[in-house]
Amino acid sequence: MRVPYNWLKEYVDLSGISPPELADRLVMTGTAVESVQTLKPSFQQVIVGEIKEMVRHPRADKLWICQVSLGHRPATIVCGATNIKVGDKVPVARPGAILQGAVLEAREIREVKSQGMLCSEAELGLGEDQSGILILDPSCQVGLPLDEALGLRDTVLELEITPNRPDCLGLIGIAREVAAIFGRPLTVPSVHVEEGELPASHWIRISIADSDLCLRYSGRLLQGVEVKPSPLWMQVRLGAVGLRPINNVVDVTNYVMWETSQPLHAFDYGKIENQQIIVRRAREGEKIVTLDGVERYLESEMLVIADDHNPVALAGVMGGVETEVSENTSVTLLESANFDPVSILRTSQKLGLRSEASNRFEKGLDPNQSLYALDRAAMLMREVAGGTILKGAVDIYPRRLAPWRLQLRPKRVIQILGCPISKKEIKAILGSLELEVSGEEPLEVTVPTFRRDLEREIDLIEEVARLYGYDKFPSTLPASSGRVGELSWEQKRINLVREVMIGCGLWETINYSFTDHKSMDKAGLKVADPRRHSVAIANPIIEDFSILKTTLLLGLLQVIEKNCRVDKENVFIFELAKTYHPRDGQDLPHEPRALAAAITGLWFGRFWSEPVRKVDFYDLKGIVEELARALDLQEPQWLPTSYDPFYEGKCAWVEIGGERVGIAGQIHPLVIKRYEIPNEVFAFELDLDRILALPTCQKEFRGIPRYPSITVDLALIVDEEVNYLQVRDVIQTGGGKGLKDVTLFDVYRGRQIPEGKKSLAFSLTFQEEDRTLRDEEVQEKVDRIVQELNRELGAELRSR
Amino acid sequence: MSNGNRGSLADKIEEIVSQTLKEIDRASALAELQSIEISCLGRKGHLTGILRTLGSLDPQERPWIGKLANQGKERIKERLRLRQVELEHKELRKELAKETIDITLPGRPVRRGVKNIITSVVEEITEIFVGLGYRVAEGPDVELDYYNFEALNMPPDHPARSLWDTLYVTDKVLLRTHTSPVQIRYMEEHEPPIYIIAPGKVYRRDYDISHAPMFHQIEGLAVDKNISMADLKGTLEAFTRAVFGPEARIRFRPSYFPFTEPSAEVDVSCVICGGKGCRVCSDSGWLEILGAGMVDSNLYKYVGYDPEEVSGFAFGMGVDRIAMLKYGISDIRLFFENDLRFLEQFR
Ligand SMILES: [Zn+2]
Repeated sequence: MRVPYNWLKEYVDLSGISPPELADRLVMTGTAVESVQTLKPSFQQVIVGEIKEMVRHPRADKLWICQVSLGHRPATIVCGATNIKVGDKVPVARPGAILQGAVLEAREIREVKSQGMLCSEAELGLGEDQSGILILDPSCQVGLPLDEALGLRDTVLELEITPNRPDCLGLIGIAREVAAIFGRPLTVPSVHVEEGELPASHWIRISIADSDLCLRYSGRLLQGVEVKPSPLWMQVRLGAVGLRPINNVVDVTNYVMWETSQPLHAFDYGKIENQQIIVRRAREGEKIVTLDGVERYLESEMLVIADDHNPVALAGVMGGVETEVSENTSVTLLESANFDPVSILRTSQKLGLRSEASNRFEKGLDPNQSLYALDRAAMLMREVAGGTILKGAVDIYPRRLAPWRLQLRPKRVIQILGCPISKKEIKAILGSLELEVSGEEPLEVTVPTFRRDLEREIDLIEEVARLYGYDKFPSTLPASSGRVGELSWEQKRINLVREVMIGCGLWETINYSFTDHKSMDKAGLKVADPRRHSVAIANPIIEDFSILKTTLLLGLLQVIEKNCRVDKENVFIFELAKTYHPRDGQDLPHEPRALAAAITGLWFGRFWSEPVRKVDFYDLKGIVEELARALDLQEPQWLPTSYDPFYEGKCAWVEIGGERVGIAGQIHPLVIKRYEIPNEVFAFELDLDRILALPTCQKEFRGIPRYPSITVDLALIVDEEVNYLQVRDVIQTGGGKGLKDVTLFDVYRGRQIPEGKKSLAFSLTFQEEDRTLRDEEVQEKVDRIVQELNRELGAELRSR
Repeated sequence: MSNGNRGSLADKIEEIVSQTLKEIDRASALAELQSIEISCLGRKGHLTGILRTLGSLDPQERPWIGKLANQGKERIKERLRLRQVELEHKELRKELAKETIDITLPGRPVRRGVKNIITSVVEEITEIFVGLGYRVAEGPDVELDYYNFEALNMPPDHPARSLWDTLYVTDKVLLRTHTSPVQIRYMEEHEPPIYIIAPGKVYRRDYDISHAPMFHQIEGLAVDKNISMADLKGTLEAFTRAVFGPEARIRFRPSYFPFTEPSAEVDVSCVICGGKGCRVCSDSGWLEILGAGMVDSNLYKYVGYDPEEVSGFAFGMGVDRIAMLKYGISDIRLFFENDLRFLEQFR
């Protein structure tokens, strides 16, 4: 809501209050100010002059040589306009003035020196009229800068009006706030309608068919108005608030709306069939072309203003083209009505059509203001468009809205606000808002109908609070004691998961919860993949964000893709977020927390002290193992599988304690190619909720071993098909309780190892808790292990 | 032997000792020390030679000459030991000097990752409120219209619904536009006193430099006996100072939200211009950081509390916005691009 300071001054005395100070006080009483702008006309140094003398140019019969008084001294100006005469006050641009960005210079016109020029509306950038010189109001003071004379020097406060305060969508409502804030009187323009003899009720019949949606409908007829551009002062004001001047009739309705918050509409009476206005619900299949030129198909819940046959306006939203006022209009029907807010909101939402009118009606206006606004508009219209106002307003108002009473307990005010506001202060504040207060305990408060937002005691407490000033409240903390703030066990575990990931060298990313089917195609998810079953957004902002993600992997691949594009090819990232899975028969999806990571490129980048090494599967696996350790879980088991978007044979289910908790592996080369990622990518995705639900292994102190350990190295040659885990299991079984540690320290293929075989080198540590081990004992155990390995896996000893 | 003889022997010992001590001090290598030791104390050494002649001395003189010679021997041994340590150090230093390293070479990197800036801010804020006695609650991202709007005092067709540009799944299911639904969900499940915060993702149908379709909020809720607006003010002031520093000025002004009354917005003095006015704060000198208010008593009806018995306050803030203000980030979408060049700045 744009509020010109000088316009506002008409309703409340602002002397001694600067625009910034006004803005500040409005903000601190609950009216947000988005900006305070100084208006700047497109011209500079143009002043008001008066034509004192006009003579024909001796050498050009279409030009005049004018003597123009500028206050202190006259100027000679050559001019070709035909609409000027002696005594007219006109805008004078002298050499040095700026018009539409250009500096004006003195020039000679056929041997007569012209000391400037007289300007048209268009030349000043004030309007479109360029047919002649702008003739100013006779009251303009000669010599005054034009912007000052026209009231163009103004400051506009852009206010953000909250939806509960439609009364502030008019300057009078804002002036009422200002009056309350500064304790000054409010001046509402008095209305005196000079009417003709013909009674309006003879010429128009108005009825409300659906009174549930229309509380009041009032109309006036004006005969013989001359439709033309509005006077400049009105155009200037409408321009300042961002409304485009159209013609005097439409401009008056907009002007009064801005003043009172009451939307008005003007119809060409001649186009209304059978002199009849009916406010009714639309009929199925009815259409109307609205003023924006769009044909609208109406539904039966939409309220229309209709004549005998057809809708002529969408009630409270927009008028129809058919009955639009034009230069040929001889009789104007002026409408001021009050419609049901919900109906207006639904209609404007359904049609995707919002207007200044619908924006006001949908918040609920005061039906008692509509007649005032109608009269104010009729009066102004006669002023700027001439004509005769027919006698009487036709006012249909079936159920009058009366002021209502609320009770307010002063004690409750103090209790809610925590601030000792006295009863006297409460009464004064409510009084300043035009609320009548009587009684003592509780106070009986009568609410005027323009404050329909005040329905409960708490609404009154809020009024008291905001005008008293939040800045005067004390600052305290809740008094209750004995509570402890802390994170739950699960929340702490999640934080730990994140710290482990960071400790493992991963960078935390946050990706949108959205994705789309294209991305799933790109990652190679098959049509039947359960992850295709997703939550769809009905009104996505862009197609890329049309469904909710069911996996975090796609987001991570995209991050790698984007970073590779800017030559960041060593990427180690993770995300901890929810995924979204529809559930049959339930409104809301399942939202499990997932943890995913992806790594690609060189583990250390290129660094002087490190060999260049690309990341591989075991870097990834190490992270999962570290996570399990940090969370006190059992050692993860890895089961080969094939799963999109991973590489078959380089992909495994991750199981912990027999429970499948996720997937890990190398991303399929075809997928990598589609993402244009130059290096192999390894990734895992784990179901964090499932991991958090797993039983943890209690950490247990076992004492520092008192007896020495013996470590033995064991190099085995096994078939390629034999995997590490098989070998380790045999070693562990064979080693029994005394075998404290088995570490694989080398995997070797090549020289000295037959084709199809590999060498695995282990280091075995033996230790007993109650005695010192003897070498022979250990040797016996190792021999037994080697025999077992040979028997079960065909392993041969390579060396010791 | 005569006294003179005795005297000359003593002198000789004295001379050998002082001569040897000098040689020791002059020695510049361990090998040199060794030869000095041999030439003096060895089997054929000068001092050994004298000690050998002790037997031929007058028995009366023998003890003290012997003592003199032994004392000299000890002094030489002690000096040899000290000098040896000295020379060993010197040689070690010489040895080490050949093996210096370039201490200016960059240190071997520790592969520690990076916490996301949003996470850091959430953790920072959470810590402040945990310190004030709050617990952390959560709610679903995909939410029922009922929790997102209706139970928050916005029945269907409430004009305030247009304050949020909502992404819908169906007519009654949507992506939560704020974390406020957690208020209702938590109150349904718990009885006062309640002190919680609820961080989480929220969604709006908006996408430009200052709006992302997904961002982060933290909701706060306190419901107890006798909670007042002054408590809300004090709580938020404590919070704001903790986040923006003790010199930050705070403005607490009236506002409107359908689910709080009275409502407030909290501004902090502009971190860019310090309050003088700049582009970031639209020349106001203030930055809006959170919305708050006393829980509207209508909400209590939905969850079965008696508004005459308990009162409470609620607040909500944009995490991304606070991060933007703290670090001078101008485009909210950067948080979700995950450009490594962005992430590494918050290492
Ligand atoms: Zn600033």
